[in-house]
Amino acid sequence: MRAGNRLGVIVFPAFDWAISPTHPERQERLLYTQDQLREEGIFDIPGITEYKPEIASVEDVARVHFCIPDVASVTTESHLISAGGAVRAARLIMEGQADKAFALVRPPGHHAMKVVHGNRGFCNVNIEAVMIEWIREHYGQKRIAIVDTDCHHGDGTQDIYWHDPNTLFISLHQDGRTLYPGSGHLEELGGPNAFAKTINIPLPPMTGDEGFLHVIDNIVIPILNDFRPDLVINSAGQDNHYSDPITNMLFTARGYALLNEKLSPDIAVLEGGYSIQGALPYVNCGIVLAMAGLDYSFLREPDHDAQRLRQDPRVTRQIRLMTDAVLENYFRPKRKDFPDPGTFISRRKRIFYDTDMIADEQVESVMRCSECAGVLIIESDSSINPPALCIEIPLGACARCREAGLQRHEQQLARGRHRILQLINRPDKIYENRSV
Amino acid sequence: MRLGLDVGGTHTDAVIIDTSGIVCSVKVPTDHGNLLSSVMSALNSVLDAAPTPVSAVHLSTTLTTNALLEGKTEPVGVLVSSGPGIHPLHHRIGDAFFVVDGAMDHRGAEVLPLDAAQLGHAANACKERGIRSFAVVGKFSPRNTMHEKLMAAALAGQADFVTSGHMLGGRLNFPRRITTAYFNAAVWRTYNSFADAVEEGLRKLGIQPDLAILKADGGTMPLAASRSLPVQSILSGPAASIMGITALCDVQGDAVLLDIGGTSTDIAVVAGGTPLLAPGGIGFNGRQTLVRAMVSSSLAVGGDSVLRASAGGVSVGPDRCGPCMALGGSVPTLMDACNYCGLSHVGSLEASRSGMEALARLSHRDVADVAREAVSRAVAAIKSAVDALVVAVNEKPVYTVREMLHPERIAPKKIYAVGGPAHALSDALSSAFGPNVVVPRQHAVANAIGAAIARPTCGLELYADTERGVKLIPHLSLSAKVDRSYALEHAKEDARRGLLSLVAAESPTDIELVEASSFNMIQGGRLAGKTIRVQCQIRPGIEESYLPAFRRES
Repeated sequence: MRAGNRLGVIVFPAFDWAISPTHPERQERLLYTQDQLREEGIFDIPGITEYKPEIASVEDVARVHFCIPDVASVTTESHLISAGGAVRAARLIMEGQADKAFALVRPPGHHAMKVVHGNRGFCNVNIEAVMIEWIREHYGQKRIAIVDTDCHHGDGTQDIYWHDPNTLFISLHQDGRTLYPGSGHLEELGGPNAFAKTINIPLPPMTGDEGFLHVIDNIVIPILNDFRPDLVINSAGQDNHYSDPITNMLFTARGYALLNEKLSPDIAVLEGGYSIQGALPYVNCGIVLAMAGLDYSFLREPDHDAQRLRQDPRVTRQIRLMTDAVLENYFRPKRKDFPDPGTFISRRKRIFYDTDMIADEQVESVMRCSECAGVLIIESDSSINPPALCIEIPLGACARCREAGLQRHEQQLARGRHRILQLINRPDKIYENRSV
Repeated sequence: MRLGLDVGGTHTDAVIIDTSGIVCSVKVPTDHGNLLSSVMSALNSVLDAAPTPVSAVHLSTTLTTNALLEGKTEPVGVLVSSGPGIHPLHHRIGDAFFVVDGAMDHRGAEVLPLDAAQLGHAANACKERGIRSFAVVGKFSPRNTMHEKLMAAALAGQADFVTSGHMLGGRLNFPRRITTAYFNAAVWRTYNSFADAVEEGLRKLGIQPDLAILKADGGTMPLAASRSLPVQSILSGPAASIMGITALCDVQGDAVLLDIGGTSTDIAVVAGGTPLLAPGGIGFNGRQTLVRAMVSSSLAVGGDSVLRASAGGVSVGPDRCGPCMALGGSVPTLMDACNYCGLSHVGSLEASRSGMEALARLSHRDVADVAREAVSRAVAAIKSAVDALVVAVNEKPVYTVREMLHPERIAPKKIYAVGGPAHALSDALSSAFGPNVVVPRQHAVANAIGAAIARPTCGLELYADTERGVKLIPHLSLSAKVDRSYALEHAKEDARRGLLSLVAAESPTDIELVEASSFNMIQGGRLAGKTIRVQCQIRPGIEESYLPAFRRES
């Protein structure tokens, strides 16, 4: 056997870290996956190489998130290593050491939003976003597509890239009306400066291989072909598996492998997936084989039962109906009446942190801009931190947005009710955090 | 007194040592067609010269290595049972490879019973072809040996020998287990007749010493134990060389050992005075095995590496085309460049000069420039291979936050270089590596000394699952019940005792715990049991009592 694609795999199971002893995010989670990969002799296959993660720096996080009160307070070393594992995957690709890379790391990150007060949905920092912004910091503004195949809506990633026209975010997930975090509906399409660059594909419970692959073939691939990204990232959550204890889908290991073969991501980053004995060893093995361009025809779960896993025709019909709606959303979006460039548009958000029991009320304002992602201002009133004002001048900001961001920052220093003031100034690489 | 014997490409060396140093040594030509006669003739001569009987004989032979490389092996029936994953036919080896349906999962639960009809069919097919030696291997057999035991039992009537995968240890790697079991079965008969002959020969000489073989990890294994694990004797030559250097030089702390030969340079890494062992196993003939070995790498640069020059520069190797011109070769080599530069005085300096002059003419360059460039290119290649190996050791993946934050790194302080061209390259090595390059005085029988002073090594894995209520030490074919109170401390003690039982000869002081972990298995929010994994090993080393004498010698 020889891999068709040179594949780098970063395995970081964090065997000495857990949210709590019986939490799904515990030491044991990737143990059986590692057993399976080892027993298969995966890393002896010419072309597949295992790499050690790096440790993401505070700046790597601060370039993406407003961490309140600061990065150290909302992260542990494990989060920085997990994010560093994703960065290592990106480095392998960008430096040409591998054709494809898979960061098989924990803890996950896709529920971590732009502003971070603590842990929500098992996530503190968004490891894909840390990785993507590391890429852009070192290799320039790239067009990047994120395809989130976790069963839960990737609401954190969606929040971070809501205004970024250079990032296409597509999330496949179990319909938010039936599962945490409750979002990811068809009409969530991105902010005014990046409208229809957020695409949600809510799937009915009990979606099986047929449905997932239908969506990949008929929605995801056509949209990717249109967007023409420089890089495709798979947020590879494995909780669509039929044996997952906290979701309701019927996806299989071979289905995941086939999905990866079709999608052909440059980088996959592990997200959720909590059927640690019955699913993860096989799903992860399947993803590795598929990414490496190897035969996975002999891969299946020990308890796989084709009869039981067949998708109900009603589910199939529902998915077909939804397919048309999603395609409309991307190719012919019904643009709202956005105001003229140079004016701010605001929305209110209420964010609940299920793990840490924090409530956050945000007012998010973005400047309507046709030249860049637009300066972003977030006021955050949380249940645990003093009121915070966060200003982001995005990468590639136009002169007007940069000026507006700096001006608002100075005004705020002079007066204002907020006790915490944070600035992400990407063009000038300045990340400021002040108590005022 | 101990006897060490090393079968080399040209000579077979034997040496007898005691705690005051070398008692006597011999060199006889190696007859590749009849290794046994070379071995016996070296043994006879050196024992003739010995004043008192020897208590132990350590053999480093190329018997199994050559048999496998030259295909002088017997046909092996390979029976594998494989759970889902990579298709088992991708692991096909030999001409009689059979897949028998049946599967265990990663915890050793039987997923699919072994298919008795297919098993019977495979056994019959082998019988018809007159196959008498077998390898039986199951996926996840270190977690449950039942399928391998069933396959071995089905072959009992027709097999002279069966290698069961779990006998090779508890490390998880199905393809390596298949390859290693196949190699083991393929050389079993040849090896045992060799072992019989050596024992018989020594008995005729009136002595019955403790007999052991040298392994690729630089340690020894009793001959009796190696009879069922002959694959452990492959590739012991480089290990003998490394152990020779550590014996003859006072190697302490972190260091790099270079053995610069005619065709290639072998590199090994020492950490804390002891050769570092590779986590996987040695690669052999294009396949990976479970045979424990030192961390090493080899690059195709040596004294006989062919030089080629163009306007763009000089290349060294990777090929060899006979010896250097100084020794009658037809094309200039690295050694000729050394001769030209006055770094060595091997054979005919005149022949080296004319070779280098011809090479320089071809590329319209100055002769001295070409010769100097050849030497520095060779050393630069060695330097970058050493750096890459050290980086690989330090970049070894780790799986805990603790190890990420507090990595164990090696930082070699000294470079030891041996072999023919080492002395000639010593200045160039010093300018590449800094002042800490040591080129010890050549010792005629260094490898045999390495074999003589080596001590037993071995590794062992224990796996326990308190929910299933089992503990296994696959290497010992041990499988026993445990209750829910079985804990990591018990597992460590069981593993330690198991390891000691394997090296009964001398009790080792330093058992290294490579892995000791215990994970709570949670199901439905409750503790279902623990999964416990312990891996321990004895790293290679030198019998302390022999050390001072050799360090005086060098």
